[in-house]
Amino acid sequence: MNAPLLEVRNLAKRFPTRAGREPSPWVIRDLTFAVREGEFLTIIGPSGAGKSTLLNMIAQVESASAGEILFQGSQIGLGDSKAMRPGLDRRVGYVTQDDNLLPWRTTIDNVLFPLEVQGQLDDKSRAHAQMLVDAVGLKGFERYYPHELSGGMRKRAALIRTLVYDPPVILMDEPFGAVDAQTRMQLQEDLLRLWTLGRKTIVFVTHDITEAILLGDRALVLTKQPSRIGAEHIITIPRPRNVKSFLTMPGFAEIYERIRAEVL
Amino acid sequence: MSNATATIDADVVPAPGWRWRTHFDRLLVAVVIVALWQVGSMIFGVYWLSTPWATTSRFFAMLFSGELIRHSGYTIEESFIGAVIGGVPAVILPFVLRRSPILVSILDPFMVGGYGSPKLALAPLFILWFGIGLESKIALVASVLFFIVYFSTLTGVRALDAKLVQMAQVMGASEQQLARKIIFPAAVPNIFAGFRIGLPYAIGAAVITELISSNRGLGYLVQVGAMNFDTTQCFVAILAATIIVHAVGFGVDGTERLLLRWRPSSEATLQAGGN
Repeated sequence: MNAPLLEVRNLAKRFPTRAGREPSPWVIRDLTFAVREGEFLTIIGPSGAGKSTLLNMIAQVESASAGEILFQGSQIGLGDSKAMRPGLDRRVGYVTQDDNLLPWRTTIDNVLFPLEVQGQLDDKSRAHAQMLVDAVGLKGFERYYPHELSGGMRKRAALIRTLVYDPPVILMDEPFGAVDAQTRMQLQEDLLRLWTLGRKTIVFVTHDITEAILLGDRALVLTKQPSRIGAEHIITIPRPRNVKSFLTMPGFAEIYERIRAEVL
Repeated sequence: MSNATATIDADVVPAPGWRWRTHFDRLLVAVVIVALWQVGSMIFGVYWLSTPWATTSRFFAMLFSGELIRHSGYTIEESFIGAVIGGVPAVILPFVLRRSPILVSILDPFMVGGYGSPKLALAPLFILWFGIGLESKIALVASVLFFIVYFSTLTGVRALDAKLVQMAQVMGASEQQLARKIIFPAAVPNIFAGFRIGLPYAIGAAVITELISSNRGLGYLVQVGAMNFDTTQCFVAILAATIIVHAVGFGVDGTERLLLRWRPSSEATLQAGGN
């Protein structure tokens, strides 16, 4: 078997201690996991477990206090925040909790933004972007500004904005957090369909056990602070999975119960 | 222009025809002001306070003779050149300084000093240094506008949502792309706010410098009018200056509305009506 695409070894994080105070506690400590190429990995953690911090460190927008991050077997610079390369030269895409769409750009211009800054804007990439826009049902809304879109549409736009430049690894930080249940299901379905098309490597962080089982090939459970990997579950539910009938999926209830017991 | 006001406004759906109602009410206020003016000149005497009619007819007489346009043009020219010389560096500097917060904090007391010092008191100095021609007025206009626009732009650059920058960096944006595609568009509302507040003040500064020493311009017209006990001419010049300020404000608002189409409409309405 090949080396994992992305590997995290003994990663730790504590925020700087203020003068005259107790040393700040470890948010994350001894956190180790690996992701294979083409794998959909989900990580479940209660709120405050440092999920966003973990992804921020992998995306190199926040520095780690200790440990290593390896991409295709080679180590990524750690420690010195000046030497950080956010997004690892476009090899790591990051879909954050907030959609972070640029309010002064229309939907299509937001989706084209990464291609524009990477100097890859041509007819072919435009057509690819349009295909993604159509695939998530944003056709007809290309010229709308973010404030004119619904929450779900904004999430879709943010999602395809990262897919459009095709980074080898995509990190997702509860991307479907702030929408209603119906929209959420639709978004999960969209994501699964897009993933089936491209088989990207995805690290998807969530506090929702159902979502983690529904989407992932493998689910990791984070412990309470300081966070590390508490348990691992291989999810054997066959694909394609129907998001709307997850309760009847073979083995779903069993995995759900096991994970729930670990999270609580 | 607080957020609270915006929220309140967004909740109130204006009745159809509210615009006409506003125009009508404005006309009403104008009539009241003119009436008070008329009454005032009747009480104090035309010698001390010119009548609205005398002012209006003189205004048009001076307009058609070309005299008013010549003097206004002089004031507008000083204001425009001064606005470019003061305004452009004031917009660029915060972007240059963004990468070094230390430099910003070193400069801060001096900028605050420059912002707070009574700039109009510099007028005699500038006249001493640059003479009674265009240059002294341009210098004052530039020094007035610079600090207002600088602080306004700086606020915009600082208030930037760090998450947008992070997102762009993850996608591979360079420093220059960040400045051009993220920070600048985000700061545009603040830049406009700076000009909207600063320009009337800057035009006022030009007029006052003319008033102190010049042989042309609207300030000169006021000065000569007062020396000759010709209050009508003073009023004509002040009226012309007011019209210029309004026209500039109108232009700034129009440009802003064009550039900020992306804003939610409640905010846009507020901006448009908020002058």
